[in-house]
Amino acid sequence: MNLKMLSGISLGRVAIYLILIVFALLYLAPLYVMLTTSLKDIEEIRSGNLLALPNDPTFYAWIKAWSSACTGSECNGLAPFFWNSVKIVVPAVLISTVVGAFNGYVLAKWKFKGSELLFGALLFGCFIPFQVILLPMAILLAKLGLANTVSGLVLVHVIYGVAFTTLFFRNYYVGIPTELVRAAQLDGAGFLNIFRHVFLPLSTPIFVVTIIWQFTQIWNDFLFGVVYSGPGTQPITVALNNLVNTSIGGKEYNVDMAAAIIAALPTLFVYVVAGKYFVRGLTAGAVKG
Amino acid sequence: MGHIQLNNICKSFGSTEVLKNIDLEIQDGEFLILIGPSGCGKSTLMNLIAGLEDITSGEIVIGGSDVSDKSPKDRDIAMVFQSYALYPTMSVGRNISFGLEMRKVPKAKREKIVAEVAELLQINHLLDRKPGQLSGGQRQRVAMGRALARSPKAFLFDEPLSNLDAKLRVEMRTEIKKLHQRLGTTIVYVTHDQVEAMTLADRIAVLKDGVVQQLGTPYEIYNDPVNHFVADFMGSPGMNFVECVVFNDKLIIESASKSYQLAVPCAKAIKDSGLESVLLGIRPEMLTDPKPYDDSGFVQEVCFDVEVVEPMGADTVAIGKWNDTEVQVRLSPESGEVAGEGFTLQVDTSKSIIFDPRSGNRIR
Amino acid sequence: MLNLLEKHLPKIVIAPTTVAMIVCMYGFILWTGLLSFTKSRMMPQWDFVGFEQYVRLFDNPRWHIALDNLFIFIFLFIAISLVLGLLLAIFLDQRIRNEGAIRTIYLYPMAISFIVTGTAWKWILNPGLGIEKLLRDMGFVDFEFRWLVDPDMAIYTIVIAAVWQSSGFVMAMFLAGLRGVDDNLTKAAKIDGASAIRLYWHIILPIMRPVFFSAIVILTHIAIKSFDLVQALTGGGPGYASDLPANFMYTFAFNRAQMGVGAASAMIMLFGVLAVLIPYLYSELREKKS
Repeated sequence: MNLKMLSGISLGRVAIYLILIVFALLYLAPLYVMLTTSLKDIEEIRSGNLLALPNDPTFYAWIKAWSSACTGSECNGLAPFFWNSVKIVVPAVLISTVVGAFNGYVLAKWKFKGSELLFGALLFGCFIPFQVILLPMAILLAKLGLANTVSGLVLVHVIYGVAFTTLFFRNYYVGIPTELVRAAQLDGAGFLNIFRHVFLPLSTPIFVVTIIWQFTQIWNDFLFGVVYSGPGTQPITVALNNLVNTSIGGKEYNVDMAAAIIAALPTLFVYVVAGKYFVRGLTAGAVKG
Repeated sequence: MGHIQLNNICKSFGSTEVLKNIDLEIQDGEFLILIGPSGCGKSTLMNLIAGLEDITSGEIVIGGSDVSDKSPKDRDIAMVFQSYALYPTMSVGRNISFGLEMRKVPKAKREKIVAEVAELLQINHLLDRKPGQLSGGQRQRVAMGRALARSPKAFLFDEPLSNLDAKLRVEMRTEIKKLHQRLGTTIVYVTHDQVEAMTLADRIAVLKDGVVQQLGTPYEIYNDPVNHFVADFMGSPGMNFVECVVFNDKLIIESASKSYQLAVPCAKAIKDSGLESVLLGIRPEMLTDPKPYDDSGFVQEVCFDVEVVEPMGADTVAIGKWNDTEVQVRLSPESGEVAGEGFTLQVDTSKSIIFDPRSGNRIR
Repeated sequence: MLNLLEKHLPKIVIAPTTVAMIVCMYGFILWTGLLSFTKSRMMPQWDFVGFEQYVRLFDNPRWHIALDNLFIFIFLFIAISLVLGLLLAIFLDQRIRNEGAIRTIYLYPMAISFIVTGTAWKWILNPGLGIEKLLRDMGFVDFEFRWLVDPDMAIYTIVIAAVWQSSGFVMAMFLAGLRGVDDNLTKAAKIDGASAIRLYWHIILPIMRPVFFSAIVILTHIAIKSFDLVQALTGGGPGYASDLPANFMYTFAFNRAQMGVGAASAMIMLFGVLAVLIPYLYSELREKKS
């Protein structure tokens, strides 16, 4: 019986490993195709096949995608838009994270009458389809003189990101014993000192989670970018979409792929470096209430 | 300095009244224990004294000044929490000095105080560690050190020993008692452990359902409880309660299928009450194996059938029945009684107390 | 004075967020709601016309296509992601060597923007040079794969790309759920002689019910909001055959100067999300209370 069972078990395990590896290859395939395509020249793309390695790798497509591909009427590559995205992402992530940290601290440890209701109302903000606020926000931005500006996009991302950052910090701080607040109160510390000396030193993980989450969200945003940006202020996602859909002088799939990888690189990099925190953010942002 | 007065304190959460008209006066230097079952309001009362929660009505006076509306930091009291609530990211030394830092005490003085406190509690060697690296007993000491550093008017202890294992708990109990004797600072101490209450307190306040049932010395609480609840709550093994019919100033009990008449101290009061049956309260240590006694008229011998024997080391508890109610008796370990057999029990009713079976109030 | 400030500091700190929330979420929703009852076109204006815009919306065949697409998309996207995510999670939970690496591979698409995903799959599914050519080169000379340009099939390309992007995330949720199952339970079941399949089907999956609920809510939410993927992969085409409501709303509100219709479609999307969200939150709250 041992032999039969043993072989049965190991056969099952082989099957499991096989399935897992096949799926891993399937998930990797698009990235592989993007990468190889971006290193081929257009002749090779037309004659060869999707999965073949490049015969003669060239960075032509990468250079063109970065500095001279056409994204509509202009042909300066993705570079200016990459920097636009950086200019939008950095302040938006920092502001929304700091605001979220304070909000979460208040909602977790300084409850007042109505604070639970406030939290519920804010939580709801994580779920509304943004289409429902697109029009009035456009008008508000125009009234503020922020239409088609980087500052305007920062503002929009902060406003609609704070719901998430608050949720993250609030749920994290709820797990810190309230007795710490009480002990610090008796020690003579007030609202800000307790935050600074007791909570802030405990918050590194949740800051990392939140910053990664916000960075990914805002870098990958397309909707706000396409609606609220102008020709000079478009983020990279919008520019990528324009680049792919601009067909002056024939499609260059290699340039498209290089551009796509460039647009994906910052978030992929973060994912590879800090994947653990990324996953925590996903599950926290997704599930908790 | 450390005189605390609570005048007519009420506290409600929404529509539930947690504390009802609490009046308590705690003398300077006194060790007062608040005891009661969970949910009796003892921890809430402590939080009110600390200022961590607002009173609904009433007045709190500490050291002569009304602090009812003052924030915790302006009340000059320190608290030791059940979970210790040590700041996890700070070293032990900084945990102890944090309160001084917040009160803008100069650094040199802070260091001096930390050194003194650490010396007193024998935690000098731990000052650079983080709380996460300490054992339960060490954390307990640090928590006390944090409270001591500020030399406040009063200390509040919220079940400080309940997270320690049994042996350490006894050790720390003694330690706290020594500390109090040495410093002489007022202590208000919340616990649900009646041994802690008995051993530590100058006075004990027994709480139930937001009302102080009795305030008194451990001796008074143990020997002269005002009602059935207090009598039942204090003592381990607990007091026996047997409902007995009254006959000619005496109480009838049935033990080992025989009927006995017990004389009790407050016969007149029982007669005056006109009750046909009363609740007899008698502690297990008054039910013993026969031994020499001074005849006060309250000692007699009755037959007793043992159902269960529980040796506890220093003495042995045997369980049997009077009037079909379980009764625990305290025997010497050498008595050698066996379950299922009968023996002669010496009953001393001189310290027994009598309750109205319906209201639970004392008849005296 | 200082004490008073200290006392109200928490409220002061959270006040800006509260104001922003009231104005930019609830105020704006109200605004959009009101706008959907006006005859606004290029610019907002406040001539109320009752449900006229909703009538126009539902008379519009393009909206019906968007709705039909949404139902197809939601159903397939969720069903495939759940099954795939659950299976991969169960397989990964069998003390697999290199589990971390495999998990990382399954989940990386979630870090990528939908625009990038769309761009990549647009190339892979390219009728002339993509998978079609690959298989023809391998000898299947008659192989045809032209979903991207087939009005009846274009929506399914979006399902493929979306599943690729999100199923790893569903896997991660299930895996976290599986890891939370009490070990003693599986031991007890094994002692009782339950087979692996019975163990999962009768014991573990029922425990994971909340994970299913969360996953469904999140995936529905992603689906209703889906805009970028369609924009990048098919551009809503061919024609408007693969439009989703979000793309419809964008086109009508911003490109076609039909604000009223756009607002009406946005409100319908909101109600769609609420229809999923409210029962979910309700059951969550009830569970927490009991």
